[in-house]
Amino acid sequence: MNPASSAAMTSRQRVARTLARQQPDRVPIYDSFWMEAECEFRRQLGCSLPPDESKLFTWDNSLAAARSRTIWEIFDMDLIQIGWPDCYLHQRPEIVVEETDEWVIYRNGDDALFKSWKHKMGTPERVSFAVNSPDKWREVRHLLVPSRQRIDWEVCRPVHERARADDRYVCYATLEAFEAAKNLLGHEMMLKAMIKQPEWLQEIFETYTTLQIGLFELCEAEGLHSDGAFLYGDLAYKNGPFMSPDHYRRFVKPSHKRMGDYFAARGMPVIFHTDGDIRPLIDDLIDAGVNALNPLEAKAGVDVRQLAGQYGDRLGFVGNIDARILATNDREAIREELRTKLAATMPYCGYIYHSDHSVPPGVTLETYQQLLDDVRTLGRYD
Amino acid sequence: MSITERIATAVLTGADDQARQLVEEALASEISAVVILEEGLLEGMAGVSRRFREGEYFLPEVLVAADALKACMDVLQPRMIAENVRPRATSVIGTVRGDLHDIGKNLLGTMLQGAGFEVIDLGVDVSAEAFIDACRAQCAHVVGLSALLTTTMPQMEVIVREIRAALNPAPAIIIGGAPVTEDYARHIGADGYGPDAATGAELAKQLCLGTA
Repeated sequence: MNPASSAAMTSRQRVARTLARQQPDRVPIYDSFWMEAECEFRRQLGCSLPPDESKLFTWDNSLAAARSRTIWEIFDMDLIQIGWPDCYLHQRPEIVVEETDEWVIYRNGDDALFKSWKHKMGTPERVSFAVNSPDKWREVRHLLVPSRQRIDWEVCRPVHERARADDRYVCYATLEAFEAAKNLLGHEMMLKAMIKQPEWLQEIFETYTTLQIGLFELCEAEGLHSDGAFLYGDLAYKNGPFMSPDHYRRFVKPSHKRMGDYFAARGMPVIFHTDGDIRPLIDDLIDAGVNALNPLEAKAGVDVRQLAGQYGDRLGFVGNIDARILATNDREAIREELRTKLAATMPYCGYIYHSDHSVPPGVTLETYQQLLDDVRTLGRYD
Repeated sequence: MSITERIATAVLTGADDQARQLVEEALASEISAVVILEEGLLEGMAGVSRRFREGEYFLPEVLVAADALKACMDVLQPRMIAENVRPRATSVIGTVRGDLHDIGKNLLGTMLQGAGFEVIDLGVDVSAEAFIDACRAQCAHVVGLSALLTTTMPQMEVIVREIRAALNPAPAIIIGGAPVTEDYARHIGADGYGPDAATGAELAKQLCLGTA
């Protein structure tokens, strides 16, 4: 008899076995939410809401709701995140420079200007970036050093304590260098620098990688030990990676490999989050030390039913349940989406349930709870 | 290699300083602005577009080529005005009301410019009224609508409907963006769908100029 199927596992055991591609008792559950969806679920379940729902655009405000209970705890999910260090140049709240009832223009900690909706989530419009030349970079790079004020201890510490008490799997979450550099320079400048200013870009990536490892070590030193790492870097969009595989290997992969080796040496699996059609870079990501991919955007053409046979023995999958189907609230269609993707991935024992990006507003609480029940039923291994 | 071929190669490789110098040389040699534009800049950008569609070029290569094109246009524009060189057609582009994403729209603008279009970029969060006003004022031949979100995609249908109601003849309307599909374009009555910026510009050429 397989010991994995003889008794229910704790969340921590379940995720650990899955990321090692060993058979767990059932498919683990984890998810992400658009803030409007999370607020609506919190409201209906009588859970704490962000202090100011008119400020959904600020991360501080979102985290505040997590202090008493994260959305992952509310739905009794298996994986929980801590960390999310502030990777900006300056540690300070966003500075509002202009606003209407609908939108706000604010200056972030990288001194970049962004325009964002006030009452709904979404990628903000990039207005301008302060760091726009190697000279400007040289003026500010000394600011990118690990420091205690980059981590919200008031959120991380109690979340970590509760996760350990509940035996959930704890992931240290952070942006990786590509995403942090994109925030600093903007997509256009960063991508052009791959051709026009390669040494500058390499220095930026190395600086952020050193910063991120240092920030993780601060958390560890505080006793906030993690089981795995969750790295966030959107390397792709609907039509494929932003850069060629050659540019990925030259500029980004060294940073990923450095982090992959670092976490592997500590026995921590790496889950890598990237939007878009990442398929042309999967082999390189595996080579860099990525153990599982998230969220595997279905609307970008990614389908675990196709990927499982090709990569299932080398890579875990965290996601790919099509949010467009969730938004229909058609329970049969959702169950079919889930059933077929579980059928394809479960033989490889490396699948964690997650939507293909974030649960969108409009998905009813009943639909969502039914979906999680279905994962717990259809995702059993015994 | 002729000087216009060298200009095309410089644009294709994103060598902006070299491209600008070559355009200055060409102008000093009394080569007409239309020849420099057609056989140099647009030929180079046609190569960029083709390589992007075929997966040889990615965004970095496109962006540096766009910079080279812009550097050349800054030099060439006065001579184009003096020689009364007109763009092949006029396009109006924007991201639809409720959506603040601009990268896809900006790329379409670059590709349209590289295909010889004048590009009127209305920015992001653009209403149907703004599209209609711009099309009327600029006698636009084609409109490009962009949306990144499933929540803002329905605005495309509204804008298509209102443009067709307000303008007769209406310009060709093409749409693109992450959640958009060919089926959706057909469903809302758009004239076409560009799965990427380069294909969108090719589609605009077909619709406006009968060429691709």
